[in-house]
Amino acid sequence: MNGRRQALGRLAGTTFALAALLAAGCPKAPTSGAAPAPTQSGPSPAPPAAKAIKIAMIAKSSTNPVFLSARRGAETAAKDLSAKISAPIEIVWLTPPEEDGQIQAQRIAQAVNEGANAILISCSDAGKVTGAIDDAVARGVPVMTFDSDAPKSKRFAFYGVDDRRIGEQVMEELGKQLDGKGKIAILAGNQNAPNLRRRVDGIKAEAAKSKGIQIVGTFYHNETPQDAAAEVIRVNNAYPGIKGWAMAGGWALYTKTLLSDLDPAKIKLVAVDALPPSLPYVEKGLAPVLLAQSSYLWGNVGVTKIIDKIFFKKDVPEIIPMDPVRVTSDNLGSWARQLRQWGFPDVPEEYLKLK
Amino acid sequence: MTVLRRLLRSQQTGLVLIIVGLLVVLSLAAGSHVDPSTGRTVNNFLNSYTLIQTGTDASFIAIMAVGATVVIISGGIDLSVGSVYALASVVMGLALRDGAGGAGTVLLGLVLCVAIGVIAGAVNGAMVVGLDVHPFIITLGMMWILRGFAFVISKAESIPLPEVLTRFAKSSLGLGAALYPLPMLAMLVVSILGALYLGRTVMGRHVFAVGGNPQASRYSGLSLARIRIGVFVLAGATAGLAAFLGGSFYGAVSCGDATGYELYVIASAVVGGARLSGGRGSAINAMLGAVLIILIRQSIRTLHLDQNYEWIIIGCAIVVAVVLDQASARFAARRLAGAR
Repeated sequence: MNGRRQALGRLAGTTFALAALLAAGCPKAPTSGAAPAPTQSGPSPAPPAAKAIKIAMIAKSSTNPVFLSARRGAETAAKDLSAKISAPIEIVWLTPPEEDGQIQAQRIAQAVNEGANAILISCSDAGKVTGAIDDAVARGVPVMTFDSDAPKSKRFAFYGVDDRRIGEQVMEELGKQLDGKGKIAILAGNQNAPNLRRRVDGIKAEAAKSKGIQIVGTFYHNETPQDAAAEVIRVNNAYPGIKGWAMAGGWALYTKTLLSDLDPAKIKLVAVDALPPSLPYVEKGLAPVLLAQSSYLWGNVGVTKIIDKIFFKKDVPEIIPMDPVRVTSDNLGSWARQLRQWGFPDVPEEYLKLK
Repeated sequence: MTVLRRLLRSQQTGLVLIIVGLLVVLSLAAGSHVDPSTGRTVNNFLNSYTLIQTGTDASFIAIMAVGATVVIISGGIDLSVGSVYALASVVMGLALRDGAGGAGTVLLGLVLCVAIGVIAGAVNGAMVVGLDVHPFIITLGMMWILRGFAFVISKAESIPLPEVLTRFAKSSLGLGAALYPLPMLAMLVVSILGALYLGRTVMGRHVFAVGGNPQASRYSGLSLARIRIGVFVLAGATAGLAAFLGGSFYGAVSCGDATGYELYVIASAVVGGARLSGGRGSAINAMLGAVLIILIRQSIRTLHLDQNYEWIIIGCAIVVAVVLDQASARFAARRLAGAR
């Protein structure tokens, strides 16, 4: 009897949990783009399924603002193109909450199983998703990568910056700020990310060309603003002579702490990415140059190229290079307005008024 | 009637009914799409690809959950299984990455992973027994140490595995293209073996005895040290096996693999009815717990719920299920006491 009661208790408990949480507790995922209705015929009203186009978007992590910007770009492109091709385009956001190549591979399979017409992915671990991408392509679902590629897979195109080249550019800019001499450190993010490793390689290769530049070390950290800023402060304390930081990503500049802790007369920072929280560093002269990736375009161009491929049957180049935008005090205003236009809500008002 | 009564009394009945109920709900609510390769209309959930994919997603966690359940039944806990998984897979990757190989490579990968798991489990167990420190602390420390080793030896690189391993883990076994049932079958086999070990062997009954009442077990002449080390070895071995299957299936390994999986593993065991104070648990239920958790995760996407709520939903489901299960157990105990 005891076993039966426990079994029934568990049944009641889990039923309660599922009923309360799944049925009532959480909202539906916002459908995106211009899709008037998704292709499903179950919970939503049935659309003309043959015409609808469903694109699964799988970025690295849904907590990273650059990917939220990419999502906005994808949704805007979907809306614009839906009107143009007279067919609803739906963006299905399948990005995991944290970076995990294994989960991404699972979500690729899920997207195919649920009838996605194409997949747009930024790969956390190329090795882990290559098999899943190849399976998707074998089942008739084209895959395009953005930001971080899986070059050995059967994806039809990649859109993003050349990571090694952007690393070299970071060091070129920092070298100019330091007149080609001084001790520098490299802030490298997650040691596991292949695109960041290529940026670090580029930074080191460029630094090696200048005899006056000495790299004190390459420093890895969790890719959160707090962890990154704490690493910068720790390293500065340990190496008091550091004159510059070459940053493979902008994480540390998404906090305000370095604005007060670092003296722009003594130290210069150059980083990849220029999101709204990092703009004060440009204004103050602490980061005279930021090399921005137009993350909005990852999604926008990605969706456009996918529609070119699957709807217009156009040839799409395998590699579509993205040029970084050089953000300085000269174009701070226009860049701020660009960010606002791309949907970033937290762009400081004062920068919007700049020239 | 007897069969029906036995079925209703079975520990698994509640979980099985819930899983079946969820499968039915998802099948009805999932909607459908047109398969581009065949042109046929396919249910978004009730299709062989999604069902096997869900089983595969659950399998790596479920296999570890069987080992972790044995530890929990003995009154311990193992927080290091995710790190054992990472270390085992990285060691396999480093040892095999330049090899082409055939069946020998597959066997070597399996042996390496399980051996690393066994060694890590033995170290866990020996430290818990030898230092007389609570397993929570020892395995918490080992969680960091083992992942650190994986980080250092792999230099944080993603290591591609030989093609033969992926071909093995992705064997279709005659089911058709892009259907890979092997991890799911491994999950079933490990769960059945775990159930046989716990329910039909003297060693398994000793584990229950130690977890239920260690003092009485000691006075009965059981070797607590041997049993406690043994359960950690089992947990390590299952983590090693999961690492072999997971690494082979996805074709690459890295030191970040299975980060946070220990929590899913423990949650699976607990949802399956394992009591954290020891003395109660079931290998089959742990597998069903893992399947249920993965199914809840899958349902969030199949029903197009906002996936930002995923952690909240899974967390709430675990807490509510366990609290009600414990309340049910207390109620049953009171009824039993009242009957006496």
